[in-house]
Amino acid sequence: MKKRLRMSMVAMAAVGTLAVSSCGFGGGGSAEAEGEGTTLNMLVPSYSDGTKALWEGVIEDFEAANEGVTVNLQIESWENLESVLQTKIQAGEAPDIYNGGAFSAFASEGLLYSAEDIASEDTLADFQESFVENESLEGTQYGLPLLASARALFYNQDLFDAAGVEAPPTTWEELNDAAAKITATGTPGYGMPLGSEEAQGESLIWFAGNGGGFGDATEITVDTPENLEAAQFMKKMITDGVTQPDPGATQRTPMINVFMQGQIGMVYALPQTVGQIEEANPDLNYGIANVPTNTGEPATLGVADRLLAFKNDETKQEAITSFMDFFFAEDQYVSWVETEGFLPSTKSGAEAMASNETLKPFLEMLPDAEFYPTSNPAWNATDGAFKSLMGLLETQEPASVLEQIQAKADAAA
Amino acid sequence: MSTFQQPPTTRIRTERGQNRESLVAALPWIGPVLILIFGVVLFPAAYMIYNSTRRISQAGTDVEGVGFANFSRVLADPNLPRILLNTLVWVVVVVTVTVILSLALANFLNKPFPGRTLVRMAVVVPWAASVVMTTTVFYYGLDRDYGIMNTFLVDIGLLDSPYGFTKNVATALGAAIVVGIFVSIPFTTYTLLAGLQAVPGDILEAAKMDGAGKVRTYFLVVLPQLRSALAVAVLINVINVFNNLPILRIMTGSLPGYSADTLMTYIFKVLQFDRRLDLASALSVINFAIVIVIVAAYVKIVKPMRED
Repeated sequence: MKKRLRMSMVAMAAVGTLAVSSCGFGGGGSAEAEGEGTTLNMLVPSYSDGTKALWEGVIEDFEAANEGVTVNLQIESWENLESVLQTKIQAGEAPDIYNGGAFSAFASEGLLYSAEDIASEDTLADFQESFVENESLEGTQYGLPLLASARALFYNQDLFDAAGVEAPPTTWEELNDAAAKITATGTPGYGMPLGSEEAQGESLIWFAGNGGGFGDATEITVDTPENLEAAQFMKKMITDGVTQPDPGATQRTPMINVFMQGQIGMVYALPQTVGQIEEANPDLNYGIANVPTNTGEPATLGVADRLLAFKNDETKQEAITSFMDFFFAEDQYVSWVETEGFLPSTKSGAEAMASNETLKPFLEMLPDAEFYPTSNPAWNATDGAFKSLMGLLETQEPASVLEQIQAKADAAA
Repeated sequence: MSTFQQPPTTRIRTERGQNRESLVAALPWIGPVLILIFGVVLFPAAYMIYNSTRRISQAGTDVEGVGFANFSRVLADPNLPRILLNTLVWVVVVVTVTVILSLALANFLNKPFPGRTLVRMAVVVPWAASVVMTTTVFYYGLDRDYGIMNTFLVDIGLLDSPYGFTKNVATALGAAIVVGIFVSIPFTTYTLLAGLQAVPGDILEAAKMDGAGKVRTYFLVVLPQLRSALAVAVLINVINVFNNLPILRIMTGSLPGYSADTLMTYIFKVLQFDRRLDLASALSVINFAIVIVIVAAYVKIVKPMRED
């Protein structure tokens, strides 16, 4: 009798816990359905220290204009964003609105609303055509392009003068020469961040500079002759010692900080870097130039991020649509993109920002930008393979490194 | 020969029936703990084992059951031997050095001296601070471009120019080991100090009267008395150090490839970079099994619960 009682108490405890934890796993949707209000869960990455406040401002205005809709904001670092999302999806708690990079894996599994389900015709028609192409998988548009960014060469004019470099380099050979001259004065000539933070970015800038790339929506092509030639040139710069020490373990953000302090000759950086230099070291005497390439033909890395909506609960579709229309309207959107220091993806936004001098060099480079093949289902794995393996270029043969990355991409296809 | 007195031990023996009755009475009190154990230990562990037998897509949806395919895949991984070797070195070095240093420190703190309370409190500091914070301080201190430890080593002439300690495999692992020891010492020292304080004074007196020197007294009288304290300290340290992620992730996180990874950091990379929830779960099950085997072997061989 007592034994049975004890067992049943233990069992009850177990059931109780299961109930508690299954709530956590299942997502408490029922409570929301009963009330009048709709709650949108939003998962976004942090672009800068100001991202949170910017989104909070948008949400506050949106909630004031749309009674009964509340938006829960969750901000994650870029490093953690995608693993947080993956855990949420696995737990059946996908965010209603998600701001991220790659989306094809979610789209092909039917987890996403298509773009026309979550935005009005006017909003969709306002996006620039070149971006819309990147947002589609098999003819259906899923993502709403949020912003774009391109890379350019930032160079330290004082170090150029001290080393006798006359003009910013336009080809790889000139880049190598300039880096060697600056290195000879005691400061690293070129910063090559191949650490796990963004090895894929640095790699694509180089690959694109030789007419290469990462492939397209159907095939990932990393191990190609063009890419190999680019990787061999990168390796040559490392062995010649004209880069900063330990490029294979160097993260981009801290390296750009070192550039801002005037301790590296040249780095590839982003539009926001201009504002960061303004804030951290306004005295830095620097210039911005096009990315040097093998032949001198213009090419650079372009990155576009997007807003996506996961299908959770049919009742939320309307609220998501009103949020998207609200956000992409000119007044909200332009101030958002301008404050973050990115390039706009809407036609109205581009018109409004055309006079912005800082962004001009980047806007000019955008037509020649090579984008990540984010609509390829194997892109996520390829991206991860670059992050964990590209740094091996420092110690291993370029051919072997590209082969290992290609193998990981093929395994995921 | 001298005769050692048995340390006073109290044994409470209860009858079986009485025991059962008291357990029922105790259930309302231990119920919350049971709920916690089910919720945060057993359920997640079972879920992890379940995941390790599934194929989970990159996006995170559960596709199908694959039996033990995930296990055969991770066991055939060419990176695994190096990772296991790193794990072994990491655990053995950190625990051994921690215990030796803590023994010395506990012995020192057991002697009366002016300011002892202050020193005892200072020892707690690395324990009280967050591990991530402590490690980050070391990480930035060792940074080539703006680390004060690097600057210091250059200033005193040990290095010609700053060195990227956290950017090379051997030095990054070495630095992680130093931090691991630093944060493990407080707990170990306090466990051993408690053990030292439980050594009865009359035994030491008897040893002294029998003419044992300081060294002999320590190794033949004090150390055997510390047996259970040492056993607990070693066991808990092994588990803690084996499962440590933050220190290694910060110190060796920027290194490319897998040559500086332990099982824990490798699981994390499989999850974060390869997006393989299923393979990461299989590796976690292996990790879990290794810890259980170590603990079982340890309990069997050392018998930390033995009271004599």
